[in-house]
Amino acid sequence: MPQITMKGVSKNFGDVTVIPQFDASIDDGEFLVLLGPSGCGKSTLLRMIAGLTGITSGTLGFDGEDVNEWTPSRRGVAFVFQSYALYPHMTVRENIAFPLLMDAFRKWHHIPLVSSVMRWKLMRRPDIVERTNQIAEQLELTPLMNRRPASLSGGQRQRVALARSLVRDPSLYLLDEPLSNLDAKLRTQMRSEISTLHQRVRKTFVYVTHDQVEAMTMATKIIVMNRGEIQQIGTPDEIYEHPANTFVARFVGAPPMNLLPVRQQGQQLTLEAGATFTHPGQLPADKELILGLRPERLRLQPAEQPGIPVEVSVVEKLGAEVILGCRVLHPGGGQSGDLLRQDLVFVRISGNPHVAIGTRASLGYDAAGVNWYSPQTGKALHPAAAPLLSCSA
Amino acid sequence: MTEQTLLERPLAVPAYSARTSTARRRLNGLLPYAFVIPPALYLLVFMFWPLGKQIYLSLTRTRLANPNRSTFIGLRNYERLLDNPDFYTTLKITLIYSVMAVIVGVAVGLVAALALNRPFPGRTLVRGILLFGWAVPNVAAALVWLWIFNERSGILNTIVTGLGLERVSWLTSTEMALPSILLVTVWQVSPFVMLVMLAALQSVPEEVKEAAVVDGADKLNVFKSVTLPHILPTLQLVSLLVMVWSIRRFDIIYLLTGGGPVGSTSTLIVKLRQVAFENHDLGLSSAYGVVGLMLALSVAAIHALFNHRRQKMSSR
Ligand SMILES: Nc1ncnc2c1ncn2[C@@H]1O[C@H](COP(=O)(O)OP(=O)(O)OP(=O)(O)O)[C@@H](O)[C@H]1O
Ligand SMILES: [Mg+2]
Repeated sequence: MPQITMKGVSKNFGDVTVIPQFDASIDDGEFLVLLGPSGCGKSTLLRMIAGLTGITSGTLGFDGEDVNEWTPSRRGVAFVFQSYALYPHMTVRENIAFPLLMDAFRKWHHIPLVSSVMRWKLMRRPDIVERTNQIAEQLELTPLMNRRPASLSGGQRQRVALARSLVRDPSLYLLDEPLSNLDAKLRTQMRSEISTLHQRVRKTFVYVTHDQVEAMTMATKIIVMNRGEIQQIGTPDEIYEHPANTFVARFVGAPPMNLLPVRQQGQQLTLEAGATFTHPGQLPADKELILGLRPERLRLQPAEQPGIPVEVSVVEKLGAEVILGCRVLHPGGGQSGDLLRQDLVFVRISGNPHVAIGTRASLGYDAAGVNWYSPQTGKALHPAAAPLLSCSA
Repeated sequence: MTEQTLLERPLAVPAYSARTSTARRRLNGLLPYAFVIPPALYLLVFMFWPLGKQIYLSLTRTRLANPNRSTFIGLRNYERLLDNPDFYTTLKITLIYSVMAVIVGVAVGLVAALALNRPFPGRTLVRGILLFGWAVPNVAAALVWLWIFNERSGILNTIVTGLGLERVSWLTSTEMALPSILLVTVWQVSPFVMLVMLAALQSVPEEVKEAAVVDGADKLNVFKSVTLPHILPTLQLVSLLVMVWSIRRFDIIYLLTGGGPVGSTSTLIVKLRQVAFENHDLGLSSAYGVVGLMLALSVAAIHALFNHRRQKMSSR
């Protein structure tokens, strides 16, 4: 099973550069998710790994061996397409058995008539029949074996596509947004089925999605991409807790991380709106900063307590939790700027605290939950020295 | 599905417009007929009436000199047909000609389409040039081909003699006349086949082909497993069209050989003209026409049968 390395991999379509330079490696047994907005080059990258699209420059290596010129079948990968790409005129059984048939196929079988006879015979060869049935059993497709793709539901088609890719027991699974055509409930179900599958087969998975929930729940490692460039590589926790830049901070998490531009004077932080509050911990050296706080890191406190002064303007009840959209108040007490232009500060509170719209409050937080970013570069900044002790106090 | 939408419809209509909407619905119900009537009339006047007339004529003795006076003789014309060895030759030639036109014409067109389906520089130009044969009017094409086939000065024989071979009597020998006519037919039909097949090929989903590649299929297997099944209905339709056109083809054959030499290129339609306008026997010639019609209809029926079976298969 290969360790996949990409060294300076790039891709141009004509004079359009889709992927400028990509350096990453994928370990054996990893569930790697390529996460990024639409059009950022995720599919292109996956297709390059599969060998369906040529690499403009750079090297793709399997266990250190340059595979740039290998054909897709030689790479021994399984590819699940976004559209499933089932063979429409074949039954489910024939679809699943197709890769096995191709493995057993010899050049001389192309002789007319021989080819039909051989196909017929191969479809009945005991090992092929057994393997097909076994995979179908695993994915609960047994009752559908003689149906054709046109008469299957989205979820069933998806399972057939999975079964077809599984049947050859490849060492590398490439999945391109396989769940994007399914409804929410089925998506959740298939998500855990694919996770289970990964745990069982212990092969390398590369999974493309623009859905951050899929990424967070399934991945052992995530690569966040934007415009063909790597924004961050890390475990789901790292990506979530410590986004490397403001793009990742905004892209991952719903509602996204609150990013408040502030100006520091000693321990005092002044928001754009003019409100001032005291930061409870260490600060980076820069004068201008972006304060990044996950919604669940904020506490709703009575207005008198120290913190960011806000007025609650949106209350979204989600059952187990409530999302509050808050507007930062001016020092005088009025709302800042015009209503539409200003971003809301989101607060996530578990349970249902029955907060009314218009409530004035103060938002408190612990220094440990803060991420700092530079307003110029958007990159993460770190507080000057030994922050951990004072933060936890 | 239709039931549901029909049930839902009245509910969606607001109460205040109930009257106008009833009127409109009635109008809507008539609308399809309004669209169908003109072509139906056209077919009735220009197709079915002459067709009925022809079938009637085939049951009569009618001379060209006096087409309005005909005597009903039942199936006598068909008896004459079946007793005449000429008829069987004609039928055989028609079948050979149209089947070969389908096989060769469709094969050439398909191969051209496959070649043109991959991008290469100057593709549009080549496609335009290849379409030429189809765009040239039949009569003009036939006249050009008469020159090409000309025994003394034609380009074909110039080439043949250039190769050090004997001159070939392309249109005037019984062995070569039918193949020569087939050559022109293929030249004329295959661009059309190519155009239609190219459209079909371009609608083959790329991802399914890629899936087959990932699954380890070589080029030929991708074609057999993905491309061919996808284009098969179109291929079949095109074959039907070429077959029926070939059964009906008149201009090229008549202009190039007139059915000769010694009837070796005389298809049903060419024979029909001969019987009608040289033998002045409208009744018998109508019988030839009806046989041609039957032939075309049975080909269409076979096509419909295939189509039906495939649809039943794929909806399983
Ligand atoms: N064959 C091609 N020719 C030219 N440009 C292409 C081609 N394929 C992809 N692109 C371009 O490359 C960019 C990345 O495409 P890609 O399909 O990899 O995006 P993606 O991240 O998978 O997006 P999505 O989430 O919408 O599937 C897009 O801007 C697209 O227009
Ligand atoms: Mg994509």
